[in-house]
Amino acid sequence: MNWALFNTEIFYFCAAVVFLVLAMLRQTGHRTSYHTALFLAALGVVVCIGTLHLDGLLFLESYRIDLFSQVCKALLAMGLLLVVCLCSELEGVAAEWHNEFYMLLFTCTLAMMLLVSSVHMITIYVSLELSSYTLYVMVALRRDKVTGTKAALKYFLVGVVASAVMLFGLALLYAACGATYLTDLVRLLPPLLNRPLVMTALLLTLCGFFFKLAVFPFHFWAPDVYAGAPNQLAAYIATASKVAAIAILMRVTAVAGDATGFLVDSLVVVAIVSMTVGNLVALVQKDLKRLLAYSSIAHAGYVLIGILSLTPAGYSGALFYALALVVMKFTCFLVVIKVADDGRNIDLDQLAGLHRRAPLLAMALMLAVFGLAGIPPTVGFTAKLLVFNAAMQNGYLTLILIAMFNVVISLYYYLLIVKAAYLTEPAAEPAPMPVSGPVKGLVFALVGTMLVTGIAPHYLIELARRATRVLF
Amino acid sequence: MILGGFPYLTSILMACLLGLGGILMLPAERALAIKKVSALFSGITLVLSLFLFVAYDRELGGMQFVEKYLWVEALGIYYHNAADGFSLPMLLLTGIVFFTAVLTMWELEHRVKEFFALFFLLVTGVFGLFMSLDLFFIFVWYDVSLFPMYLLIAVWGSTRKEYGAMKLTLYLLAGSALILPAIIFLVVKAGLNTFDLTALMQPGLFTPYEQKLAFLLLFIGFGILAGVWPFHTWSPVGHVAAPTAVSMVHAGVLMKIGSFGILRIAIYLCPEGWQYWSQAMALLAAVGIVYGALVGLGQTDLKYVVGYSSVSHMGIVGLGLATVSVDGLNGAVFQMFAHGVMTALFFSSIGYIYDKTHTKMIDELGGLNRIMPKASAFFILAAFAGIGVPCLASFWGELIVFMAAFKAFPLRGIAAISGLVISALFMLRVVQKTFYGPPNPKLAHLVDMSPALSVPRVILAAVIVLFGLFPSLLFDVIQTASLPLIGGLTP
Repeated sequence: MNWALFNTEIFYFCAAVVFLVLAMLRQTGHRTSYHTALFLAALGVVVCIGTLHLDGLLFLESYRIDLFSQVCKALLAMGLLLVVCLCSELEGVAAEWHNEFYMLLFTCTLAMMLLVSSVHMITIYVSLELSSYTLYVMVALRRDKVTGTKAALKYFLVGVVASAVMLFGLALLYAACGATYLTDLVRLLPPLLNRPLVMTALLLTLCGFFFKLAVFPFHFWAPDVYAGAPNQLAAYIATASKVAAIAILMRVTAVAGDATGFLVDSLVVVAIVSMTVGNLVALVQKDLKRLLAYSSIAHAGYVLIGILSLTPAGYSGALFYALALVVMKFTCFLVVIKVADDGRNIDLDQLAGLHRRAPLLAMALMLAVFGLAGIPPTVGFTAKLLVFNAAMQNGYLTLILIAMFNVVISLYYYLLIVKAAYLTEPAAEPAPMPVSGPVKGLVFALVGTMLVTGIAPHYLIELARRATRVLF
Repeated sequence: MILGGFPYLTSILMACLLGLGGILMLPAERALAIKKVSALFSGITLVLSLFLFVAYDRELGGMQFVEKYLWVEALGIYYHNAADGFSLPMLLLTGIVFFTAVLTMWELEHRVKEFFALFFLLVTGVFGLFMSLDLFFIFVWYDVSLFPMYLLIAVWGSTRKEYGAMKLTLYLLAGSALILPAIIFLVVKAGLNTFDLTALMQPGLFTPYEQKLAFLLLFIGFGILAGVWPFHTWSPVGHVAAPTAVSMVHAGVLMKIGSFGILRIAIYLCPEGWQYWSQAMALLAAVGIVYGALVGLGQTDLKYVVGYSSVSHMGIVGLGLATVSVDGLNGAVFQMFAHGVMTALFFSSIGYIYDKTHTKMIDELGGLNRIMPKASAFFILAAFAGIGVPCLASFWGELIVFMAAFKAFPLRGIAAISGLVISALFMLRVVQKTFYGPPNPKLAHLVDMSPALSVPRVILAAVIVLFGLFPSLLFDVIQTASLPLIGGLTP
């Protein structure tokens, strides 16, 4: 067995252990743990990029390292790094739990990395659960214990139900095909796809991933968890966690081959309902994090449009979309975290006067929000174009029209965010908000990424295509 | 004239972007410097577009000043710019309106830096759209020209500005919700893996059914922006709410993007869809002409008057496009140009009146001709142009369109002309009430437009008169594009 293939995971495991040790030593130096985490997360990105080229199978062929998994891991590592960057004032979590928080954050990233490489039912299930459980605990770490615990409990209950349903689906799948390896399923499943047992099994299995992605009907946790979790963690759930969910959903649906019919139809329904519900409910939200949660639900619907094409073009579109979501959602959360300097939740109104308090943040927020609305020349538009292009190749004109009308609906609340930042005058003259040098650099990097990948996406599209080709 | 390989069209965009960069570099306190930079770079775009208009080889015709680079290989996206007889008048119009709009805003004091930055962004999108020949870029430019609108209206506007801004943005993006699927539909159906318009223009690439479907989506999508009845309701509200320069660019140029989009994408790619839907287009256009004029009769706000007259005048453009004839196209494009300059002058003079009197309500004005004769003269000139008085630019556009419309759809043509009569009635009523009659004593102390502030209005007025006296300056250019287009249609 070639342990070198497992480098990335070992690295993140060791990083988690470092924080475990720090936690046991009762090191409460807030800055120390922050700098350690920053260093380890940055090193992690380097490790991930260094292992991009690896290829091979591990653990009785239940664990697959390929370009797809490595690209997803690199995305996850970047997501983690970005979130750790925001933890310099981790006000949402009591100081004595900081080390634990970082430990769980690294463990969760490790679990998601395991997830995107899993090609066996058991490895998928185990890594999915590991990532969920670490998240449940982290949500509960919020300084405001009542909010945190409430959100964590809700998250946990929905999650447990989803995972039970998924387990049942996996069992049925095994009963129908007698196989547990995805590679075997690819071979066995397509002829059986129209049998009721297999349909039920696949749908139930997908429920577990729908929960992760916050797709209807497993979306109820999202707004409460976003609002209840520490802001940094909400950012993490909105970005990294979505990447893992999208990636594993692609791996699993690829098993069905290029089937049309029941599976695709049900994905179409789920996509439409998710977009519509997410966007309509977001219209009336006041709390910015809840609003972003509902917009995540809607975006999950757009991503599904790419996935349900079941073609390389659709998958690469969905992967590109995952990248776009990471950058755009993260920028929104960056502003949330900077405005809510004491770790509270903020309402839309509290953005008032942001254009004077911190022009740079206001501009970044506007760009990110327009990106989420899919307006060119941002990365959000390119992602939508790719996904819609793939869907059109399968002839889903109506679906695309529905999606575009959802985009128009969503524009209303995105414009409300812009309005809050640029138009609403605060009651009292607000103090200017100092933005430190590193944060400025980060914002410029994010804005640059959003624009450059929006205008000149060639290289990334190629990468996404190469990565998703290995799934077929 | 031989024009080497110099990327003139890109230089226009670069001038906009450099201007934008310059504005962003300057600190917000140096308002005057920001205005100077804006005037300089908008002037450069005007000079460049004028140069292109003159340098275009009318004998040769077709696409000139071509720039083409592969942009995104995976999707077949090209950075492809060129100018032809349809786009040159639009580029010139944009240059004129842009430059004069910047000068019109010389007295702006509130958040100057942001205003001009957003304004430059908007105009970059407009220029880009008129010169682009790639569907991806056309869509990108379309949205780039729309979304600064929200802030421009909501921050610097008046009269229910937030409502107007939101309504406008949502309507126009609803339009893009139809355009994008239609574009993707055409690109995928063609199966050439290219967004390049010239490649997709080969006849026989799309079946009649596909053309009809795509044309419908594109027509409604762009039609919303072109103010086609019944999708026009955002337009008067938006005009009224917008600040002067934005109204100018908006009614003057942005609405043209809509009709230009119909022309450039829908008609070029789906000629059979065009012929199929032309009857319906003509009907909507005729209703729009009459409806705009009738509703205009009842308005009490100067900007609403111009807003509804725009609906009516853009109906004439739609009617011209619907005739599927050389004359109709010539007239439509001429009318697009003439209407653009005319509304810019309208809004520019209303802007001055509003700045001084703080009202746009016709009843509260009155006798302005004695108080501010210059400002009044510009408005009255624009009003005459709007009515279609000979020797002013709009006359030719309207004349040619109506002649073509009579041939193609006699009944709707007559209805449309009756709309013109009504619009003459309401324009004269507005002019009479606002500028003549007893002067309002409350306004007697106001001063007239200073010579410096007259400059942009004089430019606009001169353009109206110039093209009114020498319409062939424009028709010769438009002809080079409309003849081959109609000639290429399968009977």
